Amino acid sequence: MIKRALRRLGWSVFVVWATVTLAFFVNHSLPDDPARMVAGAQARPQDVERIRAQLGLDRPILVQYGSYLSRLVHTRWRGGGADAHATCGALGPLHVDLGKSYQKRQPVVTVLAERAPKTALLAFAAVALQVAFGMIAGVVAASRKRTWADTAAVGASLVGVSAPTFVTGVVLQYVLAHKLRLLPLDGYGTTLAEHLRCLVLPALTLGVFGAAYYTRLVRDEMLGQLDQDYVRTAYAKGLSRASVLVRHALRNALMPLMTAAALDLGTLLGGAIVTESIFRWPGLGALSIQALLDRDGPVIMGCVILTSTAVVLANVVVDLAYGALDPRVRDEGAADPT
Amino acid sequence: MTFARFRKNRGAMVGVAIVALLLGFALFGPWLVRHDPLASDFVHGATREGLPSPPSGRYLLGADRLFRDQLARLATGARVSLLIGLAATLIATALGTVVGVISGYYERRAVDTVLMRVVDVGLAFPFLLLVMAVGAALDRTTATTILVTLGLTGWLGTARVVRAKTIQIAHHDFVLAARALGRSTPGILWRHILPNVLGPVLVVGTVSVSQMILAESVLSYLGAGIAPPTPTWGHMLFEGQDYFGAAPWLVAAPAGAILLAVLGFNLVGEGLRDAIDPRQE
Repeated sequence: MIKRALRRLGWSVFVVWATVTLAFFVNHSLPDDPARMVAGAQARPQDVERIRAQLGLDRPILVQYGSYLSRLVHTRWRGGGADAHATCGALGPLHVDLGKSYQKRQPVVTVLAERAPKTALLAFAAVALQVAFGMIAGVVAASRKRTWADTAAVGASLVGVSAPTFVTGVVLQYVLAHKLRLLPLDGYGTTLAEHLRCLVLPALTLGVFGAAYYTRLVRDEMLGQLDQDYVRTAYAKGLSRASVLVRHALRNALMPLMTAAALDLGTLLGGAIVTESIFRWPGLGALSIQALLDRDGPVIMGCVILTSTAVVLANVVVDLAYGALDPRVRDEGAADPT
Repeated sequence: MTFARFRKNRGAMVGVAIVALLLGFALFGPWLVRHDPLASDFVHGATREGLPSPPSGRYLLGADRLFRDQLARLATGARVSLLIGLAATLIATALGTVVGVISGYYERRAVDTVLMRVVDVGLAFPFLLLVMAVGAALDRTTATTILVTLGLTGWLGTARVVRAKTIQIAHHDFVLAARALGRSTPGILWRHILPNVLGPVLVVGTVSVSQMILAESVLSYLGAGIAPPTPTWGHMLFEGQDYFGAAPWLVAAPAGAILLAVLGFNLVGEGLRDAIDPRQE
């Protein structure tokens, strides 16, 4: 078990490293000159060169890559002058240094630390919503198989899965915010009550898609379970219908549901680019798009690292949880990460 | 048998109808509508207040914010969306199938490990960022650059599905028998493995068309898609969003088109899956 966990963790470090490397070189190959973008279109050539040297962009690409990697994760005791740790984020003695944003003149860790909680709030709200809704609708559909309730749930979930977030988002925005004036159009607000009111629409937008998907997942899983012998046994023991459905069939459908929820949470923690853009939610998704348009390399890199780490960690957690819960997965034969 | 099951599936038939309708709209729409999708009409396309005019006999779906015919733009956009969806899927599915078959046949050997690690990294990389970066690297984005980009980045999921199926097939005795009879490895892959994985490939491919249409409209929506003035559904939605108080049809039309296209291909894909693998139902 521990060996397996270590191997998975080692593997995820490799994936994150490969992603970082890929991102670094993709970033470098983008057209437009970051130094020129910082200096402004009217700047004199010598000013652009000065800024390029300040940002360290005049060095060979491999030197830049090497210094980025060696600074990325280091310890508190790393030397190198008075302001060597000026742009670091500390986790105990371990430092993470993502450099300084070209545009915002702030350490990237500071920028990310300001944005990440907002994205996390949105991600947790959306996943909670879709799990709750998907579970209820799935159970109803499965327990009333081939009735109007089932047909309605399956049909609605098909439409929900087919609706991209920017369609759902704009429609919800039009109906709930513009026509009915129930909720703010977009933004984040300044007080806690406002944050929560602003949260509703983006969370709903993300939740509709997931809820539709989970409804089908729970329904299909439960229908598969209801044919099994142990369900017949449970009925024969005289258990009530509700108890069989919830205690037995739903319980077995929970594992795939939780898997999907964990993976979705991992994806959403990296920032929902489209939804955050529609509702002007100041999270990581909106940040990464802005950074890409500004050619703000360090911020793009920070976003990529955060996103891929969240995705990979979610995968590892799911994998290890499976191993812990289901002995069949634990043996080497089935342990393939793919 | 498989085809009969597909025919009997009501959802799948609705999907086929939707897809046929969209294909017809894309093929004949621009010719039937007869308005220029790029020409502004300041006389009939604008109201007295200078706003886009609502749906009318002349402009069935109204005019957009530059007073161009919305229906003509929607029809031209259908060509772009379907072309990109189908062509990108073709590239992605071909790549994914080749990688999946090779990886699955050489399960747990070096080739498999390397290919699957590439897939892992690709899936962990933020997809939109990757596509936008490739798009930015090419100085002008056209339908071709978008479909090539989507095709080259969209094969990862297909490769995993095909690999899993190939592993299943490769353990059958007829593969062993073919080898014993002296058939070469390419021959086995071509004659025995490939025909048996085509079912899942077809299913994944159909659903992938809807994913590609979606990806293209997301890119257009974010401003990283095909450069204006070429109309695309995603960009039309993006433009319409600012006017949705005054001109809700500017949002409703492209949103409906995208939803319908994705739904249609999803329904066909699901129908195919149920027909090919009846154990699901």
